[in-house]
Parts: sequence; structure tokens; C-alpha cells
Amino acid sequence: MSTITESNLKHTRSKGIARIDWVKVGSYLILLVFAAVYVGPLFMLVNTAFKTLPEFFRAPTALATGLNFQNFVDAWRLAKFPTYLVNSVIYTTVATFIYVVTTVFVAFPIARGYYKFGKYILLLYVIALFLPPALIPQFQLILNLGLYNTRIGYILLFLINPIGMIIIVNYIKTVPRELDESAAMDGCSYFRFILTIVLPLIKPAVATVTVLHAIGIWNELILPTIYLTNDALYPVTRGLIVFQGVYGSNWPALAAAVLILMIPMLILFMFLQRYIIAGLTEGAVKG
Amino acid sequence: MNHNLFGRGFSKYTPLLLLLPGFLLYVIIALGPSLATGVYSFTNATGIRGAPVEWVGFDNYREFLFQGAVSRDNIAATIRTLRFSFIVTTVQFVLGLFMAMLLNQKLRGKTLFRTLFFMPVILGVAIQGLMWQLFLLPRGGPVAQTLSWFGMRSEFLGGQPNEAFAWVIVVQIWANVGITMVIFLAGLQTIPDELYEAARIDGASGWGLFRNITWPLLTPSVNTNFLLNIIGSLQAWQLFLVLTGYKNGTQVLGYLVFAQGFGQTSGSVSSAFRQGFAAAASIVLFFLVLIIGMTAQYIVNRREKRIMG
Amino acid sequence: MKKLNLIILFSTLVIASLLLAACGGGGTQTSPSATGTDAPRPVTLRVLVHQNPPMVEFMQAFNERFRAKYPNVTINMSVVNANDLSTVTQTRLTARDIDVIDIFGFSNAAQPYMRNVDPPNWQTLIEAGLLMDLTGQPFVSNYDEATINDAGSYNGKVYAINLGRVTYSGMFVNLELLEKVGVSVPTTWSELVAACEKIKAAGYSCMTAGGADGWPIFVGTYGLLGAMYPDQEALVEGLWTGTIKWNDAKTLELWKRFQYFATQMLEDGVTGLSHDAAPARFAAGDVAMMPTGNWQGPALEDAAPSFAWTYIPFPGSDNPADNQYLFGKYDQGWAIASDSPNQDVALNYLAMFSEPDNYQAFIDAVGFIPTQPTATLDSQLGRAVKPYLENFRVGYEQYWVSPKGAGQWANGSQGAAWFRPFNQWTDPVALANQAQADLQAGLDANR
Repeated sequence: MSTITESNLKHTRSKGIARIDWVKVGSYLILLVFAAVYVGPLFMLVNTAFKTLPEFFRAPTALATGLNFQNFVDAWRLAKFPTYLVNSVIYTTVATFIYVVTTVFVAFPIARGYYKFGKYILLLYVIALFLPPALIPQFQLILNLGLYNTRIGYILLFLINPIGMIIIVNYIKTVPRELDESAAMDGCSYFRFILTIVLPLIKPAVATVTVLHAIGIWNELILPTIYLTNDALYPVTRGLIVFQGVYGSNWPALAAAVLILMIPMLILFMFLQRYIIAGLTEGAVKG
Repeated sequence: MNHNLFGRGFSKYTPLLLLLPGFLLYVIIALGPSLATGVYSFTNATGIRGAPVEWVGFDNYREFLFQGAVSRDNIAATIRTLRFSFIVTTVQFVLGLFMAMLLNQKLRGKTLFRTLFFMPVILGVAIQGLMWQLFLLPRGGPVAQTLSWFGMRSEFLGGQPNEAFAWVIVVQIWANVGITMVIFLAGLQTIPDELYEAARIDGASGWGLFRNITWPLLTPSVNTNFLLNIIGSLQAWQLFLVLTGYKNGTQVLGYLVFAQGFGQTSGSVSSAFRQGFAAAASIVLFFLVLIIGMTAQYIVNRREKRIMG
Repeated sequence: MKKLNLIILFSTLVIASLLLAACGGGGTQTSPSATGTDAPRPVTLRVLVHQNPPMVEFMQAFNERFRAKYPNVTINMSVVNANDLSTVTQTRLTARDIDVIDIFGFSNAAQPYMRNVDPPNWQTLIEAGLLMDLTGQPFVSNYDEATINDAGSYNGKVYAINLGRVTYSGMFVNLELLEKVGVSVPTTWSELVAACEKIKAAGYSCMTAGGADGWPIFVGTYGLLGAMYPDQEALVEGLWTGTIKWNDAKTLELWKRFQYFATQMLEDGVTGLSHDAAPARFAAGDVAMMPTGNWQGPALEDAAPSFAWTYIPFPGSDNPADNQYLFGKYDQGWAIASDSPNQDVALNYLAMFSEPDNYQAFIDAVGFIPTQPTATLDSQLGRAVKPYLENFRVGYEQYWVSPKGAGQWANGSQGAAWFRPFNQWTDPVALANQAQADLQAGLDANR
């Protein structure tokens, strides 16, 4: 493993010298083997999405005989994508935004040890990782707050994710304290300091947490069934039910719907991946 | 000791004030209901409005842990959960680090690989299950085909418990190693090249570079991944639901809680809603995860103190 | 220091729970449109159904017809997965957010001889006063008496009307293949064994089933269980009271047949065949039989097999007279929320649904075995099962309740799915003993 890092360095400093880098060749080979294990199941899904239902049941693993786009058309229409997509986008963006901002404000004082009880708050979040899902009490809570079958009530369910808290606390610990001092000396207010200085520095962590959290909301299947009963409020996943029967499911249409469903999250990941991978801002680590 | 550098007087409390909204949300939405689950576990609650709820003391716990032959099955499921968690955590951790280091090189197409390895995370459990059921079809499926080239054969998910269990482990790792990899990648990016260069000038190479620079400086990622993997694998059960169903000899604790609480042990039968019992079972699971997770956290913290000073 | 940590932690927990308690007051939910009774007022009728595509399609058409007759009513129909139906029923009843509920046939009631078992879900709903008493409503009498008594009544009152039966103890038979191989449709277990041997010798597969989903394997043998114990309620009572044991001589024969079924009759590779895909596999034409529920009929017709087929009771007994029964269960039904503000509209909804024409259209759409005496199931499958309908019986799994503390092998009716290749067992005697021991542990725990 370490030789790879080493070769990485070697390579960056030997630009322009043409020679076979065996470590690199090996890396590619290994990556291709891994890729096969990932492309395989994905290919089965895509292949299924292009099949007709009888074709699928006759030979589920055989290659689709043609590019049958009808499933995508059916999926778009039957699962009511145009209506539900708007709701999904609202729930995902609003909840993720509120979640990330509130989390950073909880995480920073904890990571810096401003308050003695910070340790215990963090402990509570760690414990929350282990807590059982509390479906029934949580339902009673939302119901009694009068937020059952409302957008706000539904969003409320997605404002907590202890994993994200722990990731962000861990990352803030890698941001040097000297920054706080210089900011405080410059007379920067705490609020502005967090939003304009800390947030950009912990972009990798925020990007990771944003992606994970947004995916969770976007793919949620159970909660919309329980908390939303008004057709106008349903997210996209609620529409997938159309393809699942008790005595048989329309797998090809479901596969097509799922492919449509995963595109926005894939784009979000590809977009944020640049930030995740961009690394911490130069000054923060090296300065 | 107060490290807060911002302001004096009132504004000294600004961080506290801004911390409160997030923390209160957490207490009300997550912590409170979860604690209520603890209260539920001492009742025969069904969750149905108007149905009488009685205190039953430790009856639910007694039933889960000590009554008849079911305790034998529950304990077996507990041991199976631990085995599942151990294998998944270890393999996912090592594999995730390995993949991250591969992709931390200057390689053409690494964005594509990264996206590909992360893709299952985007899909969610139901779709992961669908994909793998197709991928693992015993008759003519791609994996069955590949195995047959080596003269091997498997009944895959519909077969004997041990075999089915092993395949679920494979899918679980496949589905989640992407997160582990991304977190490691983010960590690797925080290590400045200058450190490696300096170490190389000092004559370090290969394993030495990894042991003395990469590994210690990766500590935050290591800690995060270690905890995430342990907890995630201890609580994972939906893949079992999707891939094997409620099959004797493959159940893990989380699935047991769900199936017994919501009466979904065998499809069509309309059984009782045993929220109280399910709550007790999930509290048992909670303590198991808590003990293991806290031990892990303790080890991680000690390591962090040692390394980061 | 460690102790202090704990104290602080616990006090935080206590505060949090107090916070929750403060939120847990008795909030009341106001339902929309809860005023007036006489003049047609705008009403939204909230209907909950489980997902079953032909049924949902029928309901959408029916809702249109209902609206044509009652223009003041808007229908808000939610569809949920069958697995979530009971959870959503419960939450929506709690939120007072439902009028008409889709409810499965009442089953698995606690019997006097069962000690210390919890009442099933539907019974708790009734006892909590959440379901409206439908006794004496004119439309109830459109359904046959057995249905009203078996699937929708409790303590002499009617709480649900059930819309159809399904049977699962039979099997589809490829008549053409049998003829080609030269065997007649088996009527006894030994004939079935001999037929399978002959079919396999001729290079075909004897049976297929959706083994990847697990349950179709043991559901496929419910006919075997039923042929040996035609009175399934008595079997459940016998197991509870100890007069029948999973490992007594008669039942031991059952385990041997379970194993024979799992290892000799089912074709290779069924471990990976999903329930959905089984009809297409059968339609391919090189499998002679498919033991499964009659609900696979429409899927089989969709798969358009090019051969003549029929549906017969699984010949599990060596006495042909024991093989004349079809076992099954009551499927979907309707109930009304007792505190629905729209009960009059809900009653009209059920009344109109129960009109013979509408009901017949429903049966035509979903392919259930009808519960209204005037309706008929006029499909190839309907014609096939018709001779046995006199002998329809409610199956074992609709009566069985495991004693608390029983082990995972206690419900021996699932035995066929516990042998290799589906699970670990190879010895029927050992498994029979294990099943009885697991059951006994539960019975002893509740002495």
C-alpha cells in the first residue's frame, strides 16, 4: 500500500520521463477487477430496465433484445415523477441545509472544548448512534405537535444524523487553533467566523456529510408511507410502490424508475466529490 | 479551562446560543423518542390508540433472554450478529483503505472509479438487493457462470444458511465500502506532500512512509471509519430482509427485533403487534452495540491521544 | 470521575425524557369536513388499500363510478405495500386520518386452549373500539355466511366484509407434458411419486417453485399437510394440547414426504427462482407441476403457456378422498373507522362496492375465489378450482399461534423449507425431534 504513495510522489517529480510505471499498471489491474464487481450488478439493473416484463420473467439474466425505452416512459408517468420530484427536492435540500448548519454550530464548540459539558454532548451523540429506531414514540411526537401529514413535520424527521456530527467534530479537530486566534484578534464575530472561515475549511467533511445525509432523505421508503397521506406531499420514492405487488412486481419498470431516481444523487456526488477530494484548504493545514 | 476566544460578557455565550437549536432538535426528535422506547420495553404496548397498556416489568426481557427455546435462537442470533460485524468491519476497513490509496494516486479515470465504487451507497438497500439477486442467480447468473469455470458451485442466497450468510456479507461490504473509501480519501488529502518529501530525504520509504506518516496522520479518518463500520454492521439487517428473507439460521439481531415486533416472521400471517416486546429486544441490541461501540471508542480515543498528543 | 460521567449522563437522559413527556399531551386532531349531516356537503373520503396492481386499477375505475353517483364526494385513496398495511392502518387510525380501511381476513385468534398468547392485531383494534360495528348493514348479507363468520366477525358482531378467498394448497399441472410422458394426473401421493420418477426419467423436471423467496417452498407443501390433517384447526389444537406431536409416527411420515418433496421433486436451481418468476418458468413447458397459490393464475395466463394446464389439490395422501380439499385463507376486506366523521359516505361506498355487478367486476379483475354466492370466477383457473370449492377450508397457518418461548423450528408446517438445499437439515427424524422439542419448550414455558 505504501509503495503506491511512494510511487505517487515519485511520479509527480518525474514528469515527462517516459517509462513503464509498474505500480501504476498493477493499480489499474486491481481497479479493473474491483470495477467488474461494481459494473456487473449495475449492468444487470440497466439490462433489466430495458426488458419487457415477459422477457424478464422468461430469462432474467439474458441480454435485453433491444433498447426498450417504454419502461422509462411508464416509470416517469406511473410513478408520478413530475409531481413528486419537486417534493423530494424540497425535502432533501431544506432538511440537508438545516441539518448541516445546525450541526456545524454544535460541532465547533465541542471540537474546541469551549464548554466542559461539550464532552458529554458529544457522548450523547455517540450514544445516539447505537439507539434503536423509535418509530412509534416519534410518530406520537409529530402527531401531537400537529405536524402529521405536513411538509414541516416530514422535514423535522431528517434534522438529526449523529454520524455526521461525529465526522464534523473529528474534522474540526484538524483545523488549527491559530485560525481562531487570528480571527478573534481581527474582531471577527463568532457567527461570521463559523460561516466564512470554518465552513470553507471543513468543506471535505461538510461535502461528505451532505452527500450521505441527502442520499438518506432521497431514498427514504418507509417514513413517507407513515407520515404523509396527502398525494400532493409525496416524495418520489412513494411513487415506486406502483410497481410492487403482493403477488408479483413489475421489475423492469421498477429498475427503470430506480435508474431515473439515482441520477440526481449521482450528480450531487460527482459535483461534491471535487470538494471532498480537493482536500483541506492550503492554509489550514500548511499555514 | 475555557478556550473560547470570542468576545467578553454576553457575546462570550454566542457559541452556546448557536449550539442550542441543533442540540434541542436532537434531544426532542431523536433522544426523547428513543428513551421512550426504553419505557415501552416494560409494557405490553401495541401502539394502537385506545388499547390498554399495562406495565409488565421485566417480562419482555425475560421472554427475550431466558424463556424456552427462543432464548437459544436469540443468543445464536446475537453471536451471528457479532460474527457478521467482525468480518464486515475488518474487511471493509482494510479494503476501503486499500481502495482509497489506489485512488489517491495520479491516475487517469480515477473520478470514474471513485463514483463507481460509491454508487451502491446512492442506491439504497432495496435496489442493492435486486441487483445482487440477479447477479447471483444460480441458473445462468454471471457469478454462477464464473464459479463454474473453476469447477465451483453455490446455491447462493436461497441455499444453506452458512452459504447465504456469507453472500450477504459480500453484498454488505460491496454496498458500504464506498463510504469507507471516501472518508479515507478525504483523510489522505489532508496529509501534505511535504511531509513525505521530508521523510524521503531522511531515507524513509515504502512501509516506513505508511507507518510513520500516512497511518498516524490518517487518525481522524481511521477513527471515524472504525466506529462507523462497527456500528453500521451491528445494526445492519435490511439486506437480510431483501436477500434471504426470515430464514432460520441467518437472522441477525436487528432483523429479529423487526420481525418479532411487527409480526413479520412469515409473510401472510396476521400476528400481534408487540411493540413492547420489540422495544425490549431493541434495548438488548442497544446495549450490545453500546458496549462494543464504547470499547472501540475508548481504544480509538487512547490512540488519538497517544498520536495527536 | 467515571462515576460522575455516568451520573451526568443519566440526569441528561432523565431531562430528555421529561421533555418528551411534556410533548406527549392528548392533542386532538381535527378532521376535515366534519360538519352537517343532511344536505350533500363536500366530503373527502379517505380510503386505504394495499398494493395489488389489478385491484388498484379496479378501485380507480370504481371510484370514478362512485363519484358519478355522489358528486359531492372526493376520494383520497392511498396505496401502501401489503407489508406496511398493518403499520399504516394503526398510525392512521391513531391520527384519525382514515375512513375506509383495507383489512385482511380475521385469523390467528387466541383459542381457549392457548395459554398466554397475545391477541392478533385486528382483535386489538376492535377491542380498542377503533372499528365500526357493521352488524345489520344491508350489504353485509350479500356475502356468504361462512365469510361473515370466519373472516369478519368477533364476539357475534360484524366488523369487516371480506372480498375473496385464495387457496394455496394446490398445484398447477402441465397436462400436455403428462400425456407426452404417459402418466395420468396423480390423485394419491404414491401416484405422484411414480409420476415424478417417470417425468424425470423422460428428461423433464417434475416440479418448480419460487424458492428464492423461501416461503413458496413451504406454502407449496400446505397441501401435503392438509391431506394428512384435513381438519387443520384440530391439528393446531392437538399440537397445543399434546395429542399430536411433530415427531409421532403419523407426522414422521409427513417429514419424510417434506424431504422427498424438497430434494426429489423440486428441480435443481429453484433456490434462485423468485416467486414472481415461477409462472414464466412453468410456462416454459418442460416442468410438469408447480405447487403454489391460485393467485399465480393470472400471471400464468399472462405468460401464455402453449399447453393445456389445470389446477388440482396437492395429492398428499394415499387415500384419494383426503385429496379433495383446497386449503387457503381470506384475503382483502373492508372496514370503517369507528370515529370517521364520514361514516354515512363510507357505508354508501361499501354498499355500492357490494352490489353484485360491481363485486363481479372486482372478482373478474383480481381473480379471487368469490365470497358473494352469486358471483363466479370465470377464468381458466376459476373453472379448474370450481369442483373443489365446496371443500374449501381455512388453512393451518391461519389458526397457528406459536407459544411464547417456542424455538425457531416449532412451526413444523414450514418443514419442507428446512431441508437441504434450502436449509441445513438432512435427517427427517432429527428435524422432527427438533421441531417437537422447540414447540415443547414454548408449551412448558407457559405452563
